[in-house]
Amino acid sequence: MPVSAPRLEIANVIAGYTPGHPILRGVNLKAEPGHITVILGPNGAGKSTLLKVIFGFLTPEHGAVRLAGSDLSNLPPHQHIEHGIALLPQGRSVFPELSVLENIELGGWSMRSDRKRLREAVEAMFARYPHLRPLQHRVAGSLSGGQQRAVEIARMLVANPSVLLIDEPSAGLSPIVAHQVYQELVALKDEGRTVLLVDQDVRAAIAIADYVYVLNSGKNDIEGDRAAFEGDLGAMVRGWLGV
Amino acid sequence: MLSVFFLKSGERRGWRAWAGIGFWVAVLFALVLYGLIGTRLFFLSTLGTVFMYIVLTQAWNILGGYGGYLNFGMVTFFGTGAYTSAILFHYFGLSPFLTAPVAGLTAAIAGLLIGIPTLRLRGAYFALVTMIVTLAVQILALNLRYTQGALGIYMQPLGLSPLNVERLFYFLFLGLAVLVTLLVYAIERSNIGGALVAIREDEDAAEIIGVKTTEVKWVANAIACFIAGVVGGLYAQRIMYIEPTGTFSFDISLNTVLMAVIGGPGTWQGPLIGTPLVLLVADALRVTFTSEVNRAIFSVVVIIIALYIPGGVMGVLERWRRRGRETSANDVSAPERAA
Amino acid sequence: MLNQIATIIADGILLGLIYAIAGVGLSLVLGVMGIVNVAHSAFLMLGSFFAFELFRRLAIDPTISFFLAFPVFFAVGVIVYRMLITRVELAPQTQGLVAMFGLMVLVESLGTIAWTTDTRVITAAYTNRSILVGPIMLANVKLIAGALALLLIIAFWAFLRYTLTGRAIRAMGQNRFAAMTVGINVQALSTIMFGLGIACAGSAGVTLGMVFPFSPNTQILWLAWAFLVVILGGLGNVANTLLAGLVVGLIQTGVAAFLPFDYVYLVLYVMLAVILVVRREGLSGAVHRWI
Repeated sequence: MPVSAPRLEIANVIAGYTPGHPILRGVNLKAEPGHITVILGPNGAGKSTLLKVIFGFLTPEHGAVRLAGSDLSNLPPHQHIEHGIALLPQGRSVFPELSVLENIELGGWSMRSDRKRLREAVEAMFARYPHLRPLQHRVAGSLSGGQQRAVEIARMLVANPSVLLIDEPSAGLSPIVAHQVYQELVALKDEGRTVLLVDQDVRAAIAIADYVYVLNSGKNDIEGDRAAFEGDLGAMVRGWLGV
Repeated sequence: MLSVFFLKSGERRGWRAWAGIGFWVAVLFALVLYGLIGTRLFFLSTLGTVFMYIVLTQAWNILGGYGGYLNFGMVTFFGTGAYTSAILFHYFGLSPFLTAPVAGLTAAIAGLLIGIPTLRLRGAYFALVTMIVTLAVQILALNLRYTQGALGIYMQPLGLSPLNVERLFYFLFLGLAVLVTLLVYAIERSNIGGALVAIREDEDAAEIIGVKTTEVKWVANAIACFIAGVVGGLYAQRIMYIEPTGTFSFDISLNTVLMAVIGGPGTWQGPLIGTPLVLLVADALRVTFTSEVNRAIFSVVVIIIALYIPGGVMGVLERWRRRGRETSANDVSAPERAA
Repeated sequence: MLNQIATIIADGILLGLIYAIAGVGLSLVLGVMGIVNVAHSAFLMLGSFFAFELFRRLAIDPTISFFLAFPVFFAVGVIVYRMLITRVELAPQTQGLVAMFGLMVLVESLGTIAWTTDTRVITAAYTNRSILVGPIMLANVKLIAGALALLLIIAFWAFLRYTLTGRAIRAMGQNRFAAMTVGINVQALSTIMFGLGIACAGSAGVTLGMVFPFSPNTQILWLAWAFLVVILGGLGNVANTLLAGLVVGLIQTGVAAFLPFDYVYLVLYVMLAVILVVRREGLSGAVHRWI
C-alpha cells in the first residue's frame, strides 16, 4: 500500500497547560515521508506534550505545526484524521466493551458517509492482519495485550493515514510482541508514510530510526541520523537517560 | 480527638484577616445590642430565622463546602431532630431545651445510617441519596404511630409574651450560630479541614497520601447532622406545632445549599454572607413575586454562580483581594482549581 | 391465589418497563458522559405535562404524544446541552452537580408556575378499561404504556448496538481520548447523546403520565425510581437497565400487595442502600472510568 506522504514540520513551538508556564519552550523538528523520526528525552522533557500539540489536544501559544506547508495548530483533534494524521496513544486504548470488528470499524469513522469504502477498508485491515480475523467478534477488552495492540494499530490504519504519531508503542508488552510492533513500524515507513515515534526504549527506537531528536526541558537538545546515535553518541545518551 | 481542631496550619495572618475578624465581631456586638433593645417582632423573628439558617448552612458547609460532598437533604436531619424533641415532649413531657442534644444525637445516627452506604462512593451518589431519603423519612413520619402521622404534634407554649419568645430564640440561634461558626473556623484550620479539602480536590490522591477519606467523611457528616438535629429540636419548640410535610419540606434543604453556594462554600464566612443575602432578598422579592417565581430566580442564580462564579461572594472577594496584592504582577492570575 | 400472583407479576412487568424507560436516559447520560443528570426527573415531569396539555387542548391521545415528545424533547436536550452542559463538563464535579441541581429546581419551579402543584391525571378513552388475558385482569393503559416503553427500549438498544453512531457513542463512554483519535467529534456526539437522554425522558414522562397521577413537585419521587433502576442496572447498558426496571417493578407490586403503598418507598430506600453497599466496587469503578 504505497502512500505519498507529506512532511510534518514543527516550527518553534511554545506550549503548556497553564499560561506563562510552557512545557515546550521552542521546539523545532521535521519528520520526512518514508522515514521514522524518533523523539527521545528524559521524563518531563515534553515528548508527550509535543504529540498532544501536534494532534490538536493542546494549542500552542507560539509557533506552528505544518503539514505540507499548511498550519494545523488550530485544528481540533477529531479533524486530524481527515488530514491524514493518526495517533497511536500510549497504553491500552481499545474500546474494551466493543468487539474487534467494531473497534476497527470506528477507525474509519471519518469515512462513515461512504459505507462501501468503509467496509472495504475494514476488510483490508483483516487482510493485512489475518490473525485478527478469527477474533473479530470477540470483545476487545478480553484480548491479550499484544492482540489489543494489533487492534489499535489496525484501527489507526483503517483511514489510511499518511502521518503516524506513535507514543511509546512497546510499553507493557512482552519483548517478542514489542519486536513485532517495531517491525510493523518499519513496514509502515517502507510504504512511504511519515512516522514520528516517541519512545522511552532508546535502544529499540534508535535501531529503527532514520533520524533522532533529543528533547530536554522542553527544548531541542541534540539530533542526528541513526549512524550518529548508534556509536558513542548513543552510549552517551543512554547513560544520560539512565537506561 | 478534639486536639486536632487546634492544630494550627501555621499560616501568618495579615492585617486584612484581622480587619475581617474585627468586622464580624462588630456585627456580633450590634446584633447582641439589637437583641436586647429591639422591640419590633418582625425584625427579631426574621433575624432569628437568619441565625437558624446560618447554623444549618454552616453544618452543611462542613462536608459540602470543604469536602465537596453535597447533602441535598439537610432537612432529613433537621426534621429528625424536630421529631425527636417533639416525641420526647409528647410522651415524656421533656422540654426541647433539655432534649436538643438527644435530637442532635438521633440525627447524627440517621446521618451515619445514610452516610455509611453512600459516602464510600463518589459525591454524586451521596447527593442523590440524601435527596431521596428525605422522601422516605417523610413517609415514615406520616405513617408511624409515634409521630401521629399527618395530625402532627403540638408543643407546650412557653408562657412568655410573643416578643419575648422571639427574643429568646433570637439569642438561642445567635449563640448557636456563633458556636458553630467557631467550630467551622476551627475545622478549617485543623487536620480534618485539610483532609476534607484534599478529598474535594482529588480524593484518589488524598487516599494515596494516607488520608482516611471514608472515616473523615463519616465524622464530618455526623457532626453536620448532629448540628442540624439540635436546630430541628429547637425549631419544634419555636413553631409550636410540627407535621410531616412542613417539617420535612424540601425547601429547607434547598435553602441551605442555596445559601452556602451563594455565600461561598468551603469558607467559614460564606454562610454568614449567603444566609442573610438569600433570606432578605427572598423576603423583598416575596412582595412582588410568588414563592415559585422566587425559587425559579434563585435557581438561575445558583446555576450561574456554580458555573461562572465559583466560590460565590467569598470567591469574588478573594479574587479582588488577590488582584489587589498582585497589582505589580503583569501575568494572568493563577487559574481556578481545575476539574 | 395463583391468579392473584399472576396479576402481581404481570402488573410488575408492565410497571417495570415504564421504570426502565424512565431510567434509560439517566443511565446513558451518566455512563457515556459522566454527568449525573439530577434534572432527569424534571424532564420526565415535563413529558407528562406535554401529554397532558396536548390531550386537554387538542385532544391528542397520549400514544401519539409519546412519539411527538421524542423529537420535541430532543431539541430541548440539545438546547440545554449547548447552554448549560458544555459548561458543566468543564466545571469541577461539585460545581457541576450544584448546577444540575439548580436546573432541576428551575424546571420544577417553572412547572409549578405553569401548572400549580395540583395533582393531574390523563384520562384517555381507555384509561379505566381493562382486558382479561387468560385469568389475568390487565389495565389497558398499563398495557399500552408498557408496550410503548418496550418499543423505545428496543429502539435504543438497537441504535447503540447496530448503528455506527451508536457504537461511536459507546466508544466515547469507554475511552473518550481514543474516540477523539479516531476522529470522533465528542462535543457533537455528546450533544446528540444528551439530546437522546432528554428525548427519552420526555417520552418516558408521557408513559408515566398515562399510568400515574403527577404534579410538578412529585418529580423527585420519579428521580428516586429512575435512580434506583440505574444503580441496580449499572451504567450505560440498556439491556441491564431493562432488567433492573423489571426487578424494581416486580418488587413494587410485590411489596404493595402486602404493605400499605407508602411503605414501597421505604423498601426503595433500603434497597438503594443495600445495592450501594453491595455494588460498591462496580459502581466506583464505573464512575472512575467515566467521570
